[in-house]
Amino acid sequence: MNILPLKIHNLSYSVNGNNILNNINILSDEKKITIIAGNNGSGKSTLLKILHGLIEIPDNIIKWGDYSIKNVKDNQTMVFQTPILLNRTTYENLNYVANKKNITEKNYVQKIIEKLNIKDIANVNTRYISGGERQKVSIAMAIIGDPKIIFLDEPTSQLDPVYKNEIENIIKNLSDLNVKIFMTSHDVSQINRIGKEIIFLDNGNVIYQNSVTKFFNEKHCSLINNYMNYG
Amino acid sequence: MLINILETAFNLIISLNKDLFEIISLSLKVTISALIIAVSISIPIGAFLALYKNKFQSFLVLISNTLMGMPPVVLGLLIYTLVSKKGIFGFLDILYTPSAMILAQTLLIIPIVISLTYEEIYKKNKEYNLLLISLNLSNFSKLKTLIYECRYALLTVALTGFGRASAEVGAVMIVGGNINHFTRVMTTAIAFETSKGSIELAVALGLILLLISLIITIIIKSLRKIS
Ligand SMILES: Nc1ncnc2c1ncn2[C@@H]1O[C@H](COP(=O)(O)OP(=O)(O)OP(=O)(O)O)[C@@H](O)[C@H]1O
Ligand SMILES: [Mg+2]
Repeated sequence: MNILPLKIHNLSYSVNGNNILNNINILSDEKKITIIAGNNGSGKSTLLKILHGLIEIPDNIIKWGDYSIKNVKDNQTMVFQTPILLNRTTYENLNYVANKKNITEKNYVQKIIEKLNIKDIANVNTRYISGGERQKVSIAMAIIGDPKIIFLDEPTSQLDPVYKNEIENIIKNLSDLNVKIFMTSHDVSQINRIGKEIIFLDNGNVIYQNSVTKFFNEKHCSLINNYMNYG
Repeated sequence: MLINILETAFNLIISLNKDLFEIISLSLKVTISALIIAVSISIPIGAFLALYKNKFQSFLVLISNTLMGMPPVVLGLLIYTLVSKKGIFGFLDILYTPSAMILAQTLLIIPIVISLTYEEIYKKNKEYNLLLISLNLSNFSKLKTLIYECRYALLTVALTGFGRASAEVGAVMIVGGNINHFTRVMTTAIAFETSKGSIELAVALGLILLLISLIITIIIKSLRKIS
């Protein structure tokens, strides 16, 4: 199943007359990590949700290789900017997702818990765990079932430096195993560490798309300059 | 005077007075049956309505919300006309039987359970919708998850229905007839005994009703804490 290149053709999206995305065109053949960057409200989360099929748009606007969004949906997962967890223990949350993905392998959830280093909270109801821990559980849920595409919406925004490093390694490993990663981030040094391609949004428009290496070596407009200097 | 009445009432309860307990047990049988029927119909319907947003669905929710406020006597009257000898369901021959009372209480709480279930599931769906679509679940699967996630809230809904049904007097009076040893329940007995002047039994039953209401309130409160 070849899900690349990703083709977005004239994508516009508005809510109640408010344009959130304006005529976006993207062609990306990047197999490694693609970063979606941009200021607050520029449309990053909305774009990820559309790519994941959470917000419906007309067919043919987006193609994953030869496939439509519906055809790849089962192979996609997402970590939301505000993690969404069920009112159960961490273990039960992961188990729930594993069940829905028809995973029968014994100790599968146990392995995920070890991989993400979240044993301490395995048997705690997720409504009691901290914000960073919620992100960890959310990431754990997203890697269940070996998805081909993972959308990560600011997955490390609440993580401490040590754990952020662990997660970045996990993300890099996934990418090395040919999982296509789309990730939003406001953390410029993180973008530099793990990003391969960057798409920069401003006010619902794509204002830059290139490799991360070029991004850090080129001259930019003041908007991107400010983003880089303060991020 | 009041002290004496209370004392006699207490004695009736403590001595496990046969008449008293016959009435209590019929009340519980009728209300619990009605609750089980109403809940098994209404929770799936309420949950289903919460998943969809269209004109027909909004219309049904509106109807249900309206019926929630239906005065029980009116409902009783309606059932009476349907199941009395000349009514279209006269052949069922259930007027003045516990079955008619179960029917009345079931119909009384169905809109309540539908509307409250709708609200609970709607709220939860808002919270979980993105996750559930992300997991690409079928609607049936979504519904199961949402109902499970709302389990404590839905228990509260059921208890609210139970409270409403067990406190109701107008409808069961009309369709049950308050026949001694057959269709006499707590609320109709209270009305009847009071009108007849035998206040002690009425007070004893009143105390039991209060106790039931207290127990329900306590359970609801503790359910709120865990959900
Ligand atoms: N359902 C909606 N109704 C109205 N406005 C919306 C809706 N969804 C998004 N928006 C608006 O669209 C814009 C883009 O939102 P989005 O969440 O995609 O931004 P973002 O780039 O992810 O921002 P952030 O960095 O703060 O996460 C915002 O201005 C937001 O207020
Ligand atoms: Mg966002």
